Amino acid sequence: MSYEGVPGLVETREALGESTLVVDPARVLEACTHLRDELGFNLLLDITATDYLGWGDAGVSGYYGTGGGRDLNDPMTQGYERTPEPKPKRFSLSYHLLRVADDHARVRVQLWLDDGQPVESVVPVWPTADWHEREAWDMMGIPFEGHPNLRRLLMDDDWEGHPLRKDYPLGGEPVRFSEEE
Amino acid sequence: MATIERRRAVYRGSRIPQPIPTVLQRDPTLEDVLTVNFGPNHPSTHGVLRLIVDLHGERVVGLDAVIGYLHTGFEKTMEQKTWWKCVTYPERIDYVSFQYNELVYVLAVEKLLGLRIPRKATWARMLFSELARIHSHLVYLGTSALEIGAISMFWYCFRERDLVLDLFEMVAGTRMHTRYFQVGGLAEDIPVGFYDEARAFCKRMPEAVDEYEAILNSNQIWLERTRGVGLLSAEDAIALGQTGPNLRASGVDWDLRRREPYLAYDQVEFRVPVYHGGDVFDRYKVRVDEMRESTKIVVQCIDRLEEMHGEPWIADDRKVVLPPREELHTSMESLIHHFKIVTEGFRVPEGEVYVGVESARGESGCYLVSDGGPKPWRAKFRAPSFAALHATATCAQDELVADLIATVGSLDAVMGDVDR
Amino acid sequence: MAIDKSIDRSRISRRPLAEAGLQSERLLWPSKKGVFEDEVENLEDALGLTTLEKAVAWAQTRSMWPATFGLACCAIEMMSIVSSRYDIARFGMERFSSSPRQADLMIVSGRVAHKMAPPLRQVYDQMLEPKWVIAMGACASSGGMFNNYTILQGVDKIVPVDIHVPGCPPRPEALMEGIVRLHEKVLAGVPPAYEIRGAASG
Repeated sequence: MSYEGVPGLVETREALGESTLVVDPARVLEACTHLRDELGFNLLLDITATDYLGWGDAGVSGYYGTGGGRDLNDPMTQGYERTPEPKPKRFSLSYHLLRVADDHARVRVQLWLDDGQPVESVVPVWPTADWHEREAWDMMGIPFEGHPNLRRLLMDDDWEGHPLRKDYPLGGEPVRFSEEE
Repeated sequence: MATIERRRAVYRGSRIPQPIPTVLQRDPTLEDVLTVNFGPNHPSTHGVLRLIVDLHGERVVGLDAVIGYLHTGFEKTMEQKTWWKCVTYPERIDYVSFQYNELVYVLAVEKLLGLRIPRKATWARMLFSELARIHSHLVYLGTSALEIGAISMFWYCFRERDLVLDLFEMVAGTRMHTRYFQVGGLAEDIPVGFYDEARAFCKRMPEAVDEYEAILNSNQIWLERTRGVGLLSAEDAIALGQTGPNLRASGVDWDLRRREPYLAYDQVEFRVPVYHGGDVFDRYKVRVDEMRESTKIVVQCIDRLEEMHGEPWIADDRKVVLPPREELHTSMESLIHHFKIVTEGFRVPEGEVYVGVESARGESGCYLVSDGGPKPWRAKFRAPSFAALHATATCAQDELVADLIATVGSLDAVMGDVDR
Repeated sequence: MAIDKSIDRSRISRRPLAEAGLQSERLLWPSKKGVFEDEVENLEDALGLTTLEKAVAWAQTRSMWPATFGLACCAIEMMSIVSSRYDIARFGMERFSSSPRQADLMIVSGRVAHKMAPPLRQVYDQMLEPKWVIAMGACASSGGMFNNYTILQGVDKIVPVDIHVPGCPPRPEALMEGIVRLHEKVLAGVPPAYEIRGAASG
């Protein structure tokens, strides 16, 4: 499947049987319209926002992971140390698309964003993006331009902060294990 | 008799409300409009959904759904737990068909690991997934019939539901939230007496479904309350991200088990029911037919699993899978592996993956991002009920209040799934 | 029901478990008092209800209508006690009242998010005295497995709770045990929680 005609396409990645199209955030609406009309991706499954703050800070070793040097189904090979690849920006926004047709296909459109960088809303392309974008705004603080109803969805209307960000604490209460504390 | 014939046909084109697709805004020139709050606590049994409804007489002219009353922060909590410990969280997301969330999470982790799992685990996962589908449809039928007024259906459906939960209890020790699917296979082996009980259940189930259809299918009141109500055309369904029974009731033949077979669905025979009416009645028909088809799949799985008696039920790789308990007394390496997996956790290679399965409500998906460490960096669950609620405003146009209840019930949204 | 056909059936004894010494407080050893029963009996002696009060308490327990407050997974198990296998109608409680005004018992089943806490308190306030609360499941009792920014760590922070039922989700039998213990408390004359606890009441 060739994705060359998609406007704003920066890079195409294939991994684990999935195609990821990295698209310039300024042209996401054009790209999505092209994907829906020309390439037939008519169903938007999911919009996921990911925060990469602190990515790669904790050095992770490949003792159990494959790291390219070990086959998990052939247990005698050994792994080696590896740190994760650095990411271009802090936030990534992934749109999971599906083509509901006899020649079905899936694709992921990925945008890379800085903190506070607005993205055009794709509600005109797929109406289902309405709540997904509201959730991304509520949980991650990614502002969507042109969204007809950008309010908090899951948290209280007057909640402060964006809970799923990495610098937002998990919260909760410390557990008391004995009477003395 | 003439009233049954007058069934509203599904509309052509699109009637998604503009400018906000999920909010039906009332015509500002309309006078005498009453705003009613179907608060988070309400008699219908589908959970804490709040609908702010504008009524003109009995007609719904405005609708806004407010969710978030069951937001549990699954995704953030899962980022703090190791991959193995995370298995107990997804099942509580969609708490009615709980095996599917487990399944999708475990499949996603295995895809990232590149782990091969034994075929007994694959077939057993298929068996329990289909049992979970039957369980979910039984709960749907019992509760949505209860909301419409066919109160006795509740007792009929929950009688069979208890049989399904007995089967779960037999393998996993607990009725709900079994954490039976683990990364690498199953948590425990299937006990031998299980197959007889499962066959007895599969013999009982089609008779039970016949009973339900005998009660409802030719019941005048049921037909009047469900036919022509809650219409959703195929074009709108796809635009609104619907999958699963909601999509199949609108005429689109889309089932992940057929199109993109996962587990061993390409080796079993079953039919995918598709209806074209797009109303509450057709969604009911799709789910009832799916119950029959799931029973057929369960029978085929039992036949295959009986041949595999004695085979391993979980993958062999001790760096990912806990060793069997007997070995811990004799083997030092097993003890070390057990210790490392439980305390530090196994590490999953860096990458991102999205896996979708056909759950009872639609396509349930899990998007995982791993940084190569012992904990998920990001775990996002694509909730089919979340998308199902997008369609409320579209389906509820020009409806009476009573039909609104039937519509929302038929979209089969579980609030745990919506709010995560 | 054969769990494992490889067990040598001749080794399974037919002796009742009570003879083998299994101690199950309520069923197999009726003459032995459990801790709960002991306390309830002491309270009953201490409170010394009149015959009229006893009669009123008896009537309250025989028809204690629950309010529909199913939130999450525990709600599904709560629905299954209404079903025919675990039949709660034999306790007179099958009429789940949607209107809080006519409900006596609020079974908080499921995790309570901070956003849901005000409606929960509102429903509790709308119930008329005497009213009881059962916190069903781990999430309602103490926040359960979710210790985070959004889940209330125990519903007893906002409403006074009479009985906590552990489990995730508790089996229907466990919930019924909780309900039966509540009935025993009421019959003994123990006042509802809002009279005992100072916090979160009124």
